[in-house]
Amino acid sequence: MRNTWLILKREYLQRVRTRSFIVLTVLLPAIMTVLMALPAKLATMGQKAQHVVIVASTEQLGESVRKQLLAAPSDDEEDENTGADNTKQKPEDQYIVDVDANATEAERSVLRDKVSSRAIDGYLWLTNDAIAARKVSWYSREMMPFRERSWLSEAVSRVVQQQELSSKGMTAAQADQMLQPIKVQPVRIEGGHEAKGNGMGRFLEIVVMVMLLYMAVLFYGISVMRSVLEEKTSRIIEVLLSSASSTELMAGKLLGVGAVGLTQILVWAVMAGLIALPSLAAQPNLSELQISPWVMAAFALFFLLGYLLYSTMYATIGAITTTEQEGQQLQFLIVIPLVLSVFMLMPVIRTPDSAAVVWMSMIPFFAPILMYARIVVQTPPLWQIALSLSLLIATVWGLLIFCSRIYRIGVLIYGKRPNLPEILKWLKYAKA
Amino acid sequence: MASIQKSVALSSSSRPSAADTVELTGVCKSYGDFVAVDALSFSIEPGGIYGLLGPNGAGKTSTLRMMIGIIVPDSGRISIFGEPLTRAHMDTFGYLPEERGLYRKMKVLEHLVLLGQLKGLTGAEATRRAQSWCERFELTAWTGKKVEELSKGMQQKVQFIGAILHDPRLIIMDEPFAGLDPANAVALKDVLLELAKNEKTILLSTHRMDQVERLCQSICLINHGRAVLEGDLSQIKARYGRRNVQIKYDGDARFLNEPRLVQSFNDYGNYVEVHLAPGADAQEFLHLASSCAKLSKFELMEPSLEEIFIDVVGKPNA
Repeated sequence: MRNTWLILKREYLQRVRTRSFIVLTVLLPAIMTVLMALPAKLATMGQKAQHVVIVASTEQLGESVRKQLLAAPSDDEEDENTGADNTKQKPEDQYIVDVDANATEAERSVLRDKVSSRAIDGYLWLTNDAIAARKVSWYSREMMPFRERSWLSEAVSRVVQQQELSSKGMTAAQADQMLQPIKVQPVRIEGGHEAKGNGMGRFLEIVVMVMLLYMAVLFYGISVMRSVLEEKTSRIIEVLLSSASSTELMAGKLLGVGAVGLTQILVWAVMAGLIALPSLAAQPNLSELQISPWVMAAFALFFLLGYLLYSTMYATIGAITTTEQEGQQLQFLIVIPLVLSVFMLMPVIRTPDSAAVVWMSMIPFFAPILMYARIVVQTPPLWQIALSLSLLIATVWGLLIFCSRIYRIGVLIYGKRPNLPEILKWLKYAKA
Repeated sequence: MASIQKSVALSSSSRPSAADTVELTGVCKSYGDFVAVDALSFSIEPGGIYGLLGPNGAGKTSTLRMMIGIIVPDSGRISIFGEPLTRAHMDTFGYLPEERGLYRKMKVLEHLVLLGQLKGLTGAEATRRAQSWCERFELTAWTGKKVEELSKGMQQKVQFIGAILHDPRLIIMDEPFAGLDPANAVALKDVLLELAKNEKTILLSTHRMDQVERLCQSICLINHGRAVLEGDLSQIKARYGRRNVQIKYDGDARFLNEPRLVQSFNDYGNYVEVHLAPGADAQEFLHLASSCAKLSKFELMEPSLEEIFIDVVGKPNA
């Protein structure tokens, strides 16, 4: 126990004190932010405001549509699927809308030429005839994206319906109220309580977890492998093995490197919290993204077990190989189950309680990602969580013993990589 | 210096018992088809310096690794201080591996403290001992530097301190003099002799016959995993017989061309070193030589360990 602690402490302090750790911990969030913000920024940066003409039979109708188009979308009209960046853009920055009451064929050909010569980007043919036919046309050089088309139809329908209602004797306020769309809000029941939060938030929770686990496994797993190789080539392992058992050494190393990973994630979480807090306070409905403590506990548990499972395998690869290149050739053994779990994520999110998904999430190599995803999407029966966790813990434990035996023999062998029968023979040698 | 010796290195708190420090009985170890150690038996008495010799690949390192418990023999028995070797013995010995085994990125003092702690010392005690040993080996200026910034010789000294920091009763060293300049080699030798005087048992595995010859009281020479020669060094030499003759002469060197008596010689004109043929009678050779030439010196020399080594290991199926 004491030896494990000493090794753990060494691994932790040696890593945390390096300049690369500090730089990575501070810079990675910055790089990630830039990488995520950049595409959205690039997409809007080159974009000029669209110049649009509304051709209506009367000036007043055209003007109402213009107003409706440029009105900022109200909160409840906010589409869940639009990311936070898009909704922040105001329509008046995106569009210049002119009204043209001259609905003649001559004007139409003038506008057509203007579209071709890029003087304007498009025009809406909103004559009384078109309204009567319930079919209004939009003319432009490019196909209109779906989102803009629904935005246009919504604005036009609303104005037209409002006018028709007021012509039938309703006040503008009455008409407005009548036309208020009704939204369906999904509410999930979690552990007998109503949980706020939308599908997007859940999806993000899963994606963030999977990303973190995937990155942590690859990054810290390779780091574990490299440090096993270093101990082997520098022969420090002989000195260590003359003082501590291979299980102690391996456990200390895995836990030490794991603690480094947790530190890094903690720092990132605090940084993200500090950055997000002001905007969370300003926009109370974003607090729906809050993660329940239950899910957080599941995250911590599955993350740790997943890390232990995979980094034990990395340590073993380090022990049976002599160079990093050789080790990387064997990495597929670890990457395949990880990639498979990512592939199976979509079925899990769609049908979290289908038999196939349930049993898949029991398999220890998939459980860290799949069982966690199930817990986020829909609380599975307790026995399933318990079974999956105990299988996972048993596998981690078994693998730790198995691998520390291979480790014990493997680290002392230099040269040719052993084949499977040889490794099995080692297991016998290492019994003591 | 004297105070360090008293306080750190040589406090013989743990006196060895009457039982042999290490005893190997019929120890075998093979890797697949390759037999590394074949029914090896020897025992090391407490106190003093014991030499484990052998050519490359003779099984020295495998033997050492079995003695410190990092590999397990296929068969045979290893006992330490009269008890079968177990994990509990780990803290009673210190081990210096053949090549440097240190974390390159760690600072010298931190590294030594870690090694001491792994052997059961408290952090404070390990720090105190490491500092005094560094002083003795003139490493004080380097304690805050990373291991990789040190020269090979300095790293070797750090490694050595790491092996003896916890004041072990048994010290196992694989080529401890490798990479040391003469001055440092002398410093290391002095420490080893001091430790031996204080009833520590030191096992030295090396190729360097001159070191063994001067330091060790007993040796075990192994080849192909078997003990070829074992026991007290002076007895071995006596048993091996005196077959080297140094002669100063004036006159006819005809006596050198007698194959029945002379196996080989190295003539320097009026000084010659002669290696007698097996079974040759030195007295007969003296008669022959004195009948041919005027001798001013005729001396039978004790064989050097190197000669014994080459002779034994060089023989087929030895």
